Amino acid sequence: MKSFILSILVLTAATCVAQTQDFAKGIATAKSSYSAGKLEDAHFALLQALQEIDIRIGQEILKLLPAQLDTMKANIKEDQVTGNAGFVGSTILRTYGVSRSCDLSIIGNSPLIGTLNSLINTPIIGGMMSDANNKIIKVQGYKGRLTKTPHEDGKASYSIDIPMNNSLVTLKMENGTDTQIMNMANALPLAQIAKLIQ
Amino acid sequence: MRNIFKTTSIFCALVLLLCVSPKAQLLKKIKDKANQAVDKAFDKKVNETTQPNGDNSNGGNGKVSNKGGAGLKNSSPPDVMAQIADAEKAHNAGNFNDARYSVQQALMGVEIQLGREILKSLPSTVNGMDKDTAANIVMSNNWGWNNLTIQTVYNQKPEKQMTITIGNNSMYSGLANIYFGNTAYVQANDKDQNVKQTKVKGYKAVIQYSDNKGYTLLVSLGQTALIVWECVNFKDEDDVMKTASEFDIDGIKKMMGEQ
Repeated sequence: MKSFILSILVLTAATCVAQTQDFAKGIATAKSSYSAGKLEDAHFALLQALQEIDIRIGQEILKLLPAQLDTMKANIKEDQVTGNAGFVGSTILRTYGVSRSCDLSIIGNSPLIGTLNSLINTPIIGGMMSDANNKIIKVQGYKGRLTKTPHEDGKASYSIDIPMNNSLVTLKMENGTDTQIMNMANALPLAQIAKLIQ
Repeated sequence: MRNIFKTTSIFCALVLLLCVSPKAQLLKKIKDKANQAVDKAFDKKVNETTQPNGDNSNGGNGKVSNKGGAGLKNSSPPDVMAQIADAEKAHNAGNFNDARYSVQQALMGVEIQLGREILKSLPSTVNGMDKDTAANIVMSNNWGWNNLTIQTVYNQKPEKQMTITIGNNSMYSGLANIYFGNTAYVQANDKDQNVKQTKVKGYKAVIQYSDNKGYTLLVSLGQTALIVWECVNFKDEDDVMKTASEFDIDGIKKMMGEQ
């Protein structure tokens, strides 16, 4: 067990060092290209540096997430962080549980943000969209939407969407209750996440 | 007897007409003047009632409309090297959020410079039209090319005008994808064909016409970039194509970093 933990720590440290080097490399290329008047090359190098920063931010957020949600343990090996410089920004994914599972995703520059904000902030639209399976909620003071998807076997899956600036935090859970998913959402360090991704 | 009565009546009528005519004209003039004065006074009263301040500065809801101001001062684009230095400092301190902001600012600075260079590279005269440098626009409201707009206008008196927009404005990208990806729609109606595919200097293009907007020509450059020519009061399609072919499309593509 000790050796397993040690190997994970070494791997994490090695990844961080590699990412720092990639960032430094991107910045160095950007500087030299810009000084040489190669604007397009400088632009590309800066985009790469930005991706590296997004990945580092994603890793920092993953470190903040709880090791267990409800009775489900985090599948740390399946953690994913991607930095996309484009329409959709960085993506952070953490899954929990095996037989009963839930997953948490944070997507930067999500295209769904606009629609979700309208739902949450416009009482008329929010009211029209609220039914037995949809409702507007508050988690640690952040507005969000709770969606229930009933299954044929009588069970239900739930999801909570919380917009944070341009990012969308989504928590999904299979086979559970609304109280369970609300408790899980309340266990997330949302204020710290918001600080990192704003 | 009857004749005497008839003659007398005509005589009386003539005398009356001669006596009354100057007076009637005078009376009419006085009446007209009085009417004008009354109308003026009435209009003034109505204006005072509807515009309590006596001017046109009020909008419909009692809001005062703006009559002018000095506007915003032109700010210089972000200093790329300074922003890169800030990004490095923040990154080394583990403050990734600030590092991200600084890199974004640096990217914006590079994009604006690039936009200015592309504008400078455009010809000063095209097909008899002169470049209106006052209409130059370089706009980068996001990083990563997504909202970079480079625009200028060419004019020829009295009313011929062409606006060229270079960038990857998402609105036009969507438009181009619809046309390029759906040939059946584009070529559907031969009779009133207002949209069709064409080529400019070997690049795939779409040209469309509407009476209100004139001609619009879109050329797709590489993966995401586009050039859009909006041509108002152009004689015909050939006039538009001739104008577009005077631009160095290869050069623009290269500067946009497209393959």
